[in-house]
Amino acid sequence: MTITPAEAAEFLYREAWCLDNKQWDDWLALYADDAVYWAPAMVGDEGWTDDPDNDVSLMYMDKAGLEARIFRIEGKDSYATDPMPHTAHLVSNVLVRGDADGLVADGLVQVSATWLVHAYMRVRGGTVRGGLYEYALRETAEGPKIVQKKIFIHDDRIVGPIDVYNI
Amino acid sequence: MAMARELIDDRLDDNIFRVNRAAFTDEALFEREMSEIFHRCWLYLGHESQVPDHGDYIATRLGRHPVFVIRGGDGGIRCFYDACSHRGSKLTGRTSGNAKTLVCRYHGWCFNAGGDCTLVRGGDEAYRAADLDRLGTDLRPIAQFGEYKGFLFGCVDAAAPPLDDFLGGAKPFIDLMADQAPDGMEILRGESRYVMEANWKFQTENSTDGYHVATVHRNFATTVGYRETLAPGGDDGMAKTEASRILSLEKINSGGYDVGNGHMINWADRGNPEAGPSWPQRAALLEKYDPGKVKWMLERGRTVTVFPNLLLNDVASSCIRIWRPVSAGVTEIETWCIAPRGEDPDARRARIRKYEDFFFPASLAVPDDVRAMEGAHTGSQALDDGWNDLALGHKTLVDGADAAAQELGVTPLNSNPGREVETPFFAFWREWAERLSS
Repeated sequence: MTITPAEAAEFLYREAWCLDNKQWDDWLALYADDAVYWAPAMVGDEGWTDDPDNDVSLMYMDKAGLEARIFRIEGKDSYATDPMPHTAHLVSNVLVRGDADGLVADGLVQVSATWLVHAYMRVRGGTVRGGLYEYALRETAEGPKIVQKKIFIHDDRIVGPIDVYNI
Repeated sequence: MAMARELIDDRLDDNIFRVNRAAFTDEALFEREMSEIFHRCWLYLGHESQVPDHGDYIATRLGRHPVFVIRGGDGGIRCFYDACSHRGSKLTGRTSGNAKTLVCRYHGWCFNAGGDCTLVRGGDEAYRAADLDRLGTDLRPIAQFGEYKGFLFGCVDAAAPPLDDFLGGAKPFIDLMADQAPDGMEILRGESRYVMEANWKFQTENSTDGYHVATVHRNFATTVGYRETLAPGGDDGMAKTEASRILSLEKINSGGYDVGNGHMINWADRGNPEAGPSWPQRAALLEKYDPGKVKWMLERGRTVTVFPNLLLNDVASSCIRIWRPVSAGVTEIETWCIAPRGEDPDARRARIRKYEDFFFPASLAVPDDVRAMEGAHTGSQALDDGWNDLALGHKTLVDGADAAAQELGVTPLNSNPGREVETPFFAFWREWAERLSS
């Protein structure tokens, strides 16, 4: 099973499009039912947490957790999330890495990328943060599905909320 | 500059307790807070588990002073100003790390982890021995450094009363967190630092504010409740969060205390205490402590707010939070998850997931708190004579201990039944005004 660099890039752009255009159902459909969404926390100046059962992550969620995030946004009852900011994801340097981290053993394809997100809300103005993505994708009859998305957030003095729509 | 005492309208005999909103926004007052509170008061530095070995250090600030805490070769923990004795360069290169020898990156002077200067590069040729004595080459320790049950505190004022006296009535409540584990507590890996565009005192109030929970965190409760419907059975046992109590209309056994020195307690009985990650320790704890204390540890959620900028929060999970003023309108906040050493893996996992749900800037709760406090700061600039009335609950305020405090064997200055009261804030504001007026 292979995924071409062009297919991988388009898939990542589609996820970014869904988030920036608030197409939440389409966004959730990109995730496999057994998906893990993981943003590790920093350790010191150079390290990251790597054991979600013993270390604290910024976010570590299953698909129900992602659906709950959308419920939170759509409920318009979260002060931090209403009004919603405008976001623009820039996804770049998409690299199909095959079995780089041994994920192919499970029939998965590893894809790495770089991201910047500009988020604007009137009360705070524009914020920009950035980092790296590590995806593990599974090829299915409906196209690729995200089995794991690991998001390294490089800012360690965080201004404004962090949520699925702005990283 | 506004005078602090004039900003507090403390006439409780007339059922009035008000704070002028200039207390949050006055820039000149902020300078006075730095000198009279943050440079005179004991402040939280960290936990001993963060520096387990010789040379382990954490770099932080006490008010405006850069300082670092380091474990020496003798096993002792000390705190020094983070500045080379030579020409003041910051010595530590990282927020945390290990350095048995600290080498100044500027001119190469060296210091051991006990603070002794071990090398003045080229000094033998350039100085007489008497010069080095005169220079005082060793690192300067901060005026006072102390530990209470693993929690490390520092104070840059030599004249401040001892740490034990300062913590005073807060100690039995700190014990409820510190004593939960037979092998002691540890800080878990994973950092979080975030910025709030609001005055630091909004965070002090918010940390002990039971009144905002049903509004600001209603969304947390409904979101977690919704998530549980998606994973039937998946959030049972310790994974279950007691969020439904946030929405409960039933009267919950709860209260607030003034325990002196500006320290404030807010508590509420847990609806489902066996879902707490420390519940498995119960039998061991009952062998060691009075049933009343164990009840407080495991069956009551607590916020312990230590003057001026520390929160020990033991509700669904266990969190240490500090908030450092940057300016009158900007505050830097840092949090850590604290857990029993050697904790059962299921309990550890449940504790961490619940911590991530609530206590991070990426969580389902803290972002809403931050926006609420930022909104309060913005609104406080709107009126040049706006007053916050904090008398909510004064009707039920009683001197001394309530029944719950008696179960712990403590006597707060005053008690108030119910979590939706603002009377604990009196403790903070009275201490604040006292310190700024002295």
